[in-house]
Amino acid sequence: MSALVRLAGRIFAARWVLLPPLTGAGVLALIVGALVVAPREVIEGDVQRLLYLHFPAILAAYLAFAIVFVASIGVLLTRDLRWDALARAAAGVGVLFTGVTLGTGMFWGKPIWGVYWTWDARLTSTLVLFLIYIAYLLARAVADELDEQAARFAAVFAIIGALDIPLIMMSVRWWRTLHPQPIVMRGLERPALPLEMLVVLVVGFAGITLLALWLMALRGEAERLAQRTAVLRAALDRAELHNAGGV
Amino acid sequence: MTARPAPPAASPDALAIETRGLTKRYGGVEVVRDVSLRLPAGSRTALLGANGAGKTTLLSLLSTLVSPTSGDARVDGHPVAGKPAALRRAIGVLAHRPMLYEELSALENLRLFARLYGVAGAEARIEELLRAVGAWRRRDEPVAVLSRGTHQRIALARALLHRPRVLLADEPETGLDPEGVALLDAIALATPGLTVVAATHRVDRVQAWATGLVRLDRGRIVEDSASVPIAASAAHTAEVRA
Amino acid sequence: MSAVRAVIANDLRLAWRDRAGWTTAGAFAVIAVLLYSFAFDLAVGDPRPLLPGVLWTTFLFAGVFASAPSAQRDVEGGTFDALLLAPVDPVVIYLGKATANLIALLVVEFAVLAVATILFGIMLLTAPIAGIVIVGTAGFVSLTTLLATLGASMRARGMLLPVLALPLLVPLLLAAVRATSAALGLEAGTAPWTLLLGVFALWSTLIAAILFPLAVER
Repeated sequence: MSALVRLAGRIFAARWVLLPPLTGAGVLALIVGALVVAPREVIEGDVQRLLYLHFPAILAAYLAFAIVFVASIGVLLTRDLRWDALARAAAGVGVLFTGVTLGTGMFWGKPIWGVYWTWDARLTSTLVLFLIYIAYLLARAVADELDEQAARFAAVFAIIGALDIPLIMMSVRWWRTLHPQPIVMRGLERPALPLEMLVVLVVGFAGITLLALWLMALRGEAERLAQRTAVLRAALDRAELHNAGGV
Repeated sequence: MTARPAPPAASPDALAIETRGLTKRYGGVEVVRDVSLRLPAGSRTALLGANGAGKTTLLSLLSTLVSPTSGDARVDGHPVAGKPAALRRAIGVLAHRPMLYEELSALENLRLFARLYGVAGAEARIEELLRAVGAWRRRDEPVAVLSRGTHQRIALARALLHRPRVLLADEPETGLDPEGVALLDAIALATPGLTVVAATHRVDRVQAWATGLVRLDRGRIVEDSASVPIAASAAHTAEVRA
Repeated sequence: MSAVRAVIANDLRLAWRDRAGWTTAGAFAVIAVLLYSFAFDLAVGDPRPLLPGVLWTTFLFAGVFASAPSAQRDVEGGTFDALLLAPVDPVVIYLGKATANLIALLVVEFAVLAVATILFGIMLLTAPIAGIVIVGTAGFVSLTTLLATLGASMRARGMLLPVLALPLLVPLLLAAVRATSAALGLEAGTAPWTLLLGVFALWSTLIAAILFPLAVER
């Protein structure tokens, strides 16, 4: 257990060394794979290549939202603002990739379904998710970096939002459904997707997840620096007030 | 040591308030820094210091409204960690603001808190206190129409409603006329065994009521004539046990 | 239990003293229903199938806007701190406030239902609809009370509260609208919408009661 924690710590410490090259390689592999290696889909044509971005992006978004959830619990339990920085960073990345999913979905949907948008279950619940995490970022953004109460408020909202996701999905599915059922794997014995496509998709998962992690690391670092700047500014303010001799 | 009157046995070691290394950080600034106090039961402590010295935060830490970043504190023998109901029952809080519902009358305000504190014989107690602070005649008027001074008198009645053993007061003179200030002194002094910690900027009046004073500067204690030394209270405990 | 009743009674008394706030919420709700029907009447001729949606969006907006001012006064006046200082569990305070909001909002909603019954010629004051309105309102008041109380000290709270609360309430809105439609005989009850409504109300009350004590920490 402690060996595992140490390993995780070492990997985390090496994130600035590991993430940029790995992400670069992964994203490059994804681009080459999606545009060159993967065969042209017979019915849908080239637009189907959006799959390699569309599907990994939503999984990366879910990963980010899971991190927001865990970090928000951390904010409530420890009152350590590093959790808040992590939650904000992850929420931003999650919103970005949800947006990518919605955007690629629209461009994919137009030629296939004939419309950019349809009130299908999966689209609708993804849109609601998008709105919830934008609201989270807004709620956090109206207060400054070191406002512990605002951090707790945002954390409460993020926790409710995360626990609301199953209810949103269920209700929206009952409401209406049109979306093609997932055809990535139909039983283990017979993958529905041709092997080359599946391989590119897996590469896509790896590339996009690495990209998401790298963006989160950068964003989290930026949030931490903003917090530390605010701390220094407050200390400076106090010191100058004192030197002014007023108090 | 022996000159000090024997404190009532409010807590086993007869300290009404004991803090160790109490620290509260807001956004990287330590508003209260490493505050250690040992205030005996029945003492009356004046908390002095400039605006922003940490007086209000220290009182909020003691009242459990704010949780410490580090260090610990006991009030009437109860640790502030976990905010036990027994601690909140033992304290009365007189804040900078009167903390009253302005749309409600004094009577309605006090009845609400009497129910929340489970005060026995509430009506008689409310009448007693409102008469004592001189707000009984205006008991049915909405608080909003009363003067700031009357607000503060009703707030005092509210703070003492459940017969607390410790009164935490944050600049209670604010908005009070001299008569009200005298009243405050009279009531606080007349309650037997009541421990008082009051933040104040009226240094001139401290002599009149306080048994000791604590001065804060940027969160730190710079002067403390209120705490009893550890040895003294240990000796006292031994004495009580003997 | 006595403490919960004390908080409920106190908040209802405050709501009554400050009738203007809740009367405004009621007037807003009635006007909104009227505006919706004017707007849709031109387009569809028979606005009745739209009625459940009109009613529930109106209820949600009225609820979100009406719960904010009282929470704000409570926090700004310091009385919320006074409640937290009382030797009762913070959950008691939360439940008292949520229940008081629920009762006040139900009064507004039933007034709107009465007005709509007259204007649209559909009997809306029936037992099934009353049940749906009570459970549905409990489902969203639990969350709006929590968010309004916690957000009372924040900047931009006026616009923020609906932006935060409404996306969370999508499942509740869908379930309430469909259940109401089914109760009016406008559509066959295909999915167990009433069940979902009940589940949402339980879920939201539970989660808010768990989070409230953690969230009021300072």
